[in-house]
Amino acid sequence: MIRLLNVSMMPPDVGQPVLRNLTLTVPQGEFRWLLGASGAGKSSLLRLLTLETRPSAGQMDLLGVSISQASRTTLRNLRRRIGFVPQDYRLIGEWTVFDNVALPLRLRGASERDTRREAFAVLEWLDVAHLADKRPGTLSGGEQQRAAIARALIGRPEVLLADEPTNALEDAQARRLLATFQELVEMGTTVIVATHNEALIRETPAASIILQDGTLAGTDIQDGIAALRSNKA
Amino acid sequence: MSAPVSPGLRSGSLPLLVALMTLLGGLSLAGLTGVQTLAEGWAGAARNATTIEIPSDTPQLEDRTRTLIQTLHKTPDVTTVRELSPQQVQTLLAPWLGQISDSGHLPGLSLPVVLIIAHTGTPDLGKIVHETLPEAVVEEDRRWGERLNGLGISLVACAWLAVSLIAAIAILSVGMTVRRSVMAQRKAVEIVHFLGAGDMMISSRIAGRAALLSLAGGLTGLFFLSPVITMLARKLAPFSRDAGPIALPATTWQSMLVSEWNTLHVLPHLLLEELGALPLIAACLGWLTAQTVVLVWLRRLP
Repeated sequence: MIRLLNVSMMPPDVGQPVLRNLTLTVPQGEFRWLLGASGAGKSSLLRLLTLETRPSAGQMDLLGVSISQASRTTLRNLRRRIGFVPQDYRLIGEWTVFDNVALPLRLRGASERDTRREAFAVLEWLDVAHLADKRPGTLSGGEQQRAAIARALIGRPEVLLADEPTNALEDAQARRLLATFQELVEMGTTVIVATHNEALIRETPAASIILQDGTLAGTDIQDGIAALRSNKA
Repeated sequence: MSAPVSPGLRSGSLPLLVALMTLLGGLSLAGLTGVQTLAEGWAGAARNATTIEIPSDTPQLEDRTRTLIQTLHKTPDVTTVRELSPQQVQTLLAPWLGQISDSGHLPGLSLPVVLIIAHTGTPDLGKIVHETLPEAVVEEDRRWGERLNGLGISLVACAWLAVSLIAAIAILSVGMTVRRSVMAQRKAVEIVHFLGAGDMMISSRIAGRAALLSLAGGLTGLFFLSPVITMLARKLAPFSRDAGPIALPATTWQSMLVSEWNTLHVLPHLLLEELGALPLIAACLGWLTAQTVVLVWLRRLP
């Protein structure tokens, strides 16, 4: 479960809060769209939820752990239970696709045999198994995105966060990915997906977190779509 | 090769830096050992020696000198009594009196008889000498020994300072190289950190690589240091008590190596051990510095 109570976030280099008094709850095993115009605070919220930063104020609980008081070791163990698909993929350029994808399992101490089996299963599912020995820099944007998705999915995380995970994918691949997210939700994973893809949102209606100027503007999907349209206009 | 769970260290100039530091450190250690040996030798020699001068106008000079020498030989703690020849006295006084003619006499000046006494402990030689020869001047070299000891301690302190400075520069260089490497791979380090890698997991991999590169640098430095040390040993060999017969020029690689090894044996064993340990010390310093730098840097991340 994810629970935020009056959470604010003010990065030291920005000088003003990017999230303000945010209060929301996402029960375990549910799906949420994360919607809002550019600069509304979506990336900041994802940074909080991936534990890249701590809230400046307020109370944040993630998978039953209070983040404000958590030790470095607790945060480290918590990060291993979270999958994240960043918008910029964040693959390690010096490593092969396989090593990038295998990293979360290796960090959890899985055997090399299991790691190999699971990594290739997820890479095959995403049609990038043939690129396992390539370095990310030699791949197209879509291929890198699929490698980043594979890294997030491997080991079935308890919380899956995705920032524009379909922007470099073809429609069919995007739909397939969404179907996988739904399967994970059915297995108990909490999934939050930030996107601007209106068609995809319409095809998969779900409760939303709609942000506006760093505050929660609503949860109704229609409001979210309206916010996306006003942003485009 | 083990599966990667964190970025490694980009070697950059680390092995070269460590090689240079090992070379400098080795030379400083050799210098330190030399200074220590010299200082101990000076202080020991001065502490255990007494010079007796008997003026040339002393009545019955020869007989009374013989009697004194016999008395001194019988004195407990006296190990040797040596009478300097007139030529040796001239050489000793040359800095003050200039070169003396071949006849061995200075016009209007006759040279004293000089006895050098070597002893252990602190026998009261002044009393013994003055009972036999009140005209003799006894100059105990202990005061000089104390001065030389003080000089020796200062020189040893300077040498230690040089060794410590080199070690400090080595640590700084390794630290800066590691920090540069971490900064260059900042993105990769952050990725593995935010995927759940522990601080020690990240730092150990970088430190392990730093240790390996430092070891390689240390061995390279030692390789380039060995001819210098062998040359020093060769210069020292004639003064060594353990020096054997002069070796014939080596004709094969094997005999050359044996010859070099035998030459090195004239050096203090402690110095050889210290030099041999330099690459390991470099590796340990590299590991420790890299661990510290990476762990401190990682503390900035939540």
